[in-house]
Amino acid sequence: MDIIVCVKRVPFTQEVDLEIDKSGKSIVTDGLAYVINDWDGYAVEEAILLKERIGGNVIAVTVGSEDDEEVLRRALAMGADRAIRIDTCGRSLDGLVVAKAVAAAIKGFPLDLVLTGVQADDDNQAVVGIMLAEIMGLSHAAVVRGIEPEEGSLKVRVELEGGIDEIRQVKLPALLTIQSGINEPRYVSVMGIRKAAKKELKVIGIDELGLSEADLALATEIEEVYLPPETGGAEMLSGDPSKLARAVIEIMRRKGVAV
Amino acid sequence: MGDILVFVEHRSVSLREVSLQIISKADELATKLAGRLTAVVLAAKADFLPSDFSSRADRLIVVEDERFSDFDFTAAAEVISKIIKEQSPHLVMMGHTPWGMDLGPALSVRTGLPLSTDCVDITLDGTRVKTVRQLYGGKLFARVSFRDDSKGCIITVRPGSFPVAASCGRKGELVRIENAANLPASSSRFIEYLDTGAGEIDITQAELLVSIGRGVGEKERIEEIRELAGLLGGVVSCSRPVVDRGWLPKYHQVGTSGKSVKPKVYLALGISGAFQHVAGIAGAGTVIAVNKDKKAPIFRVADYGVVEDLFAFSDALKEELGK
Amino acid sequence: MDFELNKKQKDIQKAAREFAQGELKDIARDCDLNETFPPELIRKAGELGFLGAFIPEQYGGAGLGFLEHAIILEEFWKVDPGLGQQLCSTTFGSEEFILFGTEEQKQKYLPPLASGEAMMGFAITEPDAGSDTSSASTSAQETEHGYIMNGSKTMIGNGTVGRYLVVFALSDPDNESRAQRHSIFVVETDTPGYEATRLHGKMGLRASDTASIFFSGLKLPKEALIGTRGKGFYQLMQFFDRSRAYVAAHGVGLAQGAMDLAIKHVKGRVQFGRKIASFQATQFKIAEMATRIELARTLTHKACSLLDKGKSDSKVTSMAKMNAARTAVEVVDEALQLHGGYGYFNDQDVERFYRAAKVLELYEGAKEIEKIIIGRHVLGRY
Repeated sequence: MDIIVCVKRVPFTQEVDLEIDKSGKSIVTDGLAYVINDWDGYAVEEAILLKERIGGNVIAVTVGSEDDEEVLRRALAMGADRAIRIDTCGRSLDGLVVAKAVAAAIKGFPLDLVLTGVQADDDNQAVVGIMLAEIMGLSHAAVVRGIEPEEGSLKVRVELEGGIDEIRQVKLPALLTIQSGINEPRYVSVMGIRKAAKKELKVIGIDELGLSEADLALATEIEEVYLPPETGGAEMLSGDPSKLARAVIEIMRRKGVAV
Repeated sequence: MGDILVFVEHRSVSLREVSLQIISKADELATKLAGRLTAVVLAAKADFLPSDFSSRADRLIVVEDERFSDFDFTAAAEVISKIIKEQSPHLVMMGHTPWGMDLGPALSVRTGLPLSTDCVDITLDGTRVKTVRQLYGGKLFARVSFRDDSKGCIITVRPGSFPVAASCGRKGELVRIENAANLPASSSRFIEYLDTGAGEIDITQAELLVSIGRGVGEKERIEEIRELAGLLGGVVSCSRPVVDRGWLPKYHQVGTSGKSVKPKVYLALGISGAFQHVAGIAGAGTVIAVNKDKKAPIFRVADYGVVEDLFAFSDALKEELGK
Repeated sequence: MDFELNKKQKDIQKAAREFAQGELKDIARDCDLNETFPPELIRKAGELGFLGAFIPEQYGGAGLGFLEHAIILEEFWKVDPGLGQQLCSTTFGSEEFILFGTEEQKQKYLPPLASGEAMMGFAITEPDAGSDTSSASTSAQETEHGYIMNGSKTMIGNGTVGRYLVVFALSDPDNESRAQRHSIFVVETDTPGYEATRLHGKMGLRASDTASIFFSGLKLPKEALIGTRGKGFYQLMQFFDRSRAYVAAHGVGLAQGAMDLAIKHVKGRVQFGRKIASFQATQFKIAEMATRIELARTLTHKACSLLDKGKSDSKVTSMAKMNAARTAVEVVDEALQLHGGYGYFNDQDVERFYRAAKVLELYEGAKEIEKIIIGRHVLGRY
C-alpha cells in the first residue's frame, strides 16, 4: 500500500502561558519548544502500522521551513521511507493553500491512502486533510479512530459524538483524518534516527509547484488574537487535605448525594 | 443578498441539537442582514422534524432519498454544493461535527467559498461576517475575517456555542427536491453505528461521578480512585486522555466524544478541563474540581475548586470517610 | 569549532526527552519513595537504543559516542535523577570490555547490555578503599584453572540485579608498584560464592539499585580476566576518564531539571500581589543558574567530544565532572529556595532533586580526587 502521511511541526503550549506579540495577531514564539502535531504523531504511527501489516511504502510530507524538517526526520525515524518538505518560500499560507501545495507536490505519485491528523494543535482548523482529498479527488472520512484494510477499500471507524462510532466502508484511494487514541505512537529509537539519516528528504519550493498567485491567495485573515475572557470561576476551598476533604463531603451531602 | 443556508444534521431519525443551536443563531443573523434563512434537510424521510421546525426557517429544502438515512458524504456534498451554486447564499452554516468537518472543507473547495471552522461566535460588521474561533486548544481566541466574501462564505460552528431559541416565527415554505436519481455513486458506504458507551456501567445515570483525567498519571493508580468511588457510593468516569492511553474503557469517558452526564455532583480529579470535556458536564448539578495546577481551565467552570494533588486529596477523603 | 549539536544529535536529544517525559516522569516519585524501579523500563530503553549509546554497532549497540550518551543521560536526569542513574548504571563498566576485552568477551557481554536484557555494574569501592582505590583488598588469587576471589565491595550499582559485574581486585599483591597489583575481572552474579545485599536508606537516587557484595571462594575461569593482569589500575583510570565525562551530564541534567521546576514555580506563585518571577531577586537567581548550567554543559560536551575524537583528557574530564557536580548542588539549592517552604515537601519534585544532587560530588571520584587530577595536570612537576 502506498501511503502518504502529512505532518506539521507546532509549538508545544501545554502548561505554557501564551504571550501575544506586537502585531496582536499571533503569539510570541521565542523560547517555545516545538513538537510534532499530536494528531500527526498518531497518523504517522497508523501509516507505519499499515505498512508493517500489509507491506508498502510511506512518504511523509510537510510544508514549512528547514527547522520543520525535524518532524520529517522523526517520521523517517519511526519508519517512513522517504520525506518531502515543501518550502514556503517566505509566504504566509492558509489551509487551502497548504492543501493545494501538497496536492501539487505529490501529483502523479502511486497512491492508495493519504493520512493526516484531524487538526493541528496550533490553529485547530481541521481543514487541510479534507481539502487535499477534494482537490485530488480521493474519497475521504474525517475523525477516524480505526482502520481495517479490505480488498480495494478500508473499513473505518469514524468517531461521532456521545460515545457513538460509525463504521463506514471507504473506497481506495482515500484520505482519512486520524483521531488521537487510534494507536499508541511508538517512541523514536536511536537506531531509527540513524537509519533516517540515510533516507531521502527532498525539498521543493512552493513557488516551483506551478501554482498561480490566485492559488496562493489567502482566504481568511486573523484580525486580532486575545486571551480567553475570565468567566465566573470556582469558589476556591483552602486548608489542609483533611479540612478540604470534610468541606467536600459537606458539599456533597448538601447537594443530595448520600455519602 | 444576506441569505443564510443551514445544513441540518440528524442521526438515527432524530434531529441533532447542534442544528437547532445553529439555526437559532442563523435566525438572529438573518434578521440583522434582512436575508432569507434556508434550512437543508437530507433524509430518507424527513418526518422526524419537530412540528415547529418549519417556523425556524423561511424555506425548508427537503431532499428525501434512502441514501440520506445516514450520512452519505458523496450525495450530501453534491446536493448542497448544487444548492449553494443556485442560490448564492451570503453565509453557509453547519456544525463542526465529524460530519461537518468532512463536509465543510469539501464544500469550500467545490464552491470556492472561503471557510472558517470551529467557530464559537459569529458577528456582523455591516454585512460582512466575522468569526471568533479558538487557537491552541482554547488558550487563545482569534477574530477572523474573510478576505473575499463577495460570493459568500462557509462557517462550521462548534456545538454548544449558541442557545436554542424558543421559536423564530418564520414562514417555513417547504421545498421538496427530487433529484436523487442524478446523484453520483458514493465513495463510501455506511455500515453501522457502534455504541462504544455500552459497558458494564452507565455513567449517564450516576448521581455522583468521581472523574479522573491525565493527572492520575498511571493506570495502576486508578484502583485507588475506584476505592474512593466505592466509599463515596459513586461511579468512576474520566476524560479523553485516560481512554486514549488505554487506562479505562471508552464507556467511562465524559465529553463530546464520550457521554454527556448529569450527576448531582461531579468530582473532577486531575482533569484540566478542555472544552470537549466541559461540554459533557453541562448537565451536572455541582462540579467540584481538584487539580494541582491552579490555572487549570476546569476551575473556570467548576462550582468549587481545590488546588491539591489528587491523590493527597483522595487519601484525605478516604480517611475522613473512614472516621 | 562547532558549539551546536548536529541534526542527528538534536533528534536523539528529542527522542530521549520524549521517552523520559513518557516513561519516567509519572513514576519517578513512587520509585524514589519505594526504592525501586520497573525492570521493564530498562528493556524499553534498551530496545530504543538509549542504553550505553557508545557500545559499537557490531556488539548490538547504537554505535555512537560519549557525547550522544551524555545527551541522552542529561535528558533522563532532567526528568528524574534516580531513574536517570538507573538507566545509566546498567552499562556502567562496559567500557572495560570495549577498551580491553577479548572478542569473545565483547560478543558475550555487550549485546545483552545494549538491548536492556542484562544489567551490569563496576565493583570498585570497598569498605576500606574508597578514593584510595589502589588499596582495594578483594583478592583474585591465581589457581590452576583460573582465579579464586575473596573479599567484599560496597556501594555497588546493580549488585543485586546485575547479571555480571566487572570487579577491581588484587591479583598481584607482591608487586612493588601499588599501581600494578590489581586486575579487572568479569564476575557473573549467579556464580557460587557471590552474595549481594541491597543497601537501603540512600539520601537520594533511591530508585537506583545499590548493594554490598561478598565474594567467598568464588571461582573464576582464566577468561574472566579483562585486559592485562596487573594493569587493572591503569584500566580503571581510563574508565574514569570516560565515565566522569558522562557523569558530568548527570549534573547538567539535574541542574537543568531543577531550574525548570523553579521557573515553573516562580511563574505561577504570587506573593505581595505579584508573580515572584517579577522580582529582580528571582530574575538574578535564574540568570545565574542558567549561566552556570550553560557553562557546565559546554564543558561536559567538550570533554565528551574530545573522547569521541580519541583524545582522552583526564584534566578536562575531571573539570567537567567537578564543575557539573558543583553546579548541580548549587543550582538545586537555589531552585529549592525559590520554591520556599513548599520545596521542603516530597510532593514537590525539587525535593527529590535536592537529595539527589550531593552524591555527584561523592561518586565517580569525590571532588577532591578531581582536584588532585586537575592540579597535577596544571602544575606539572615542581
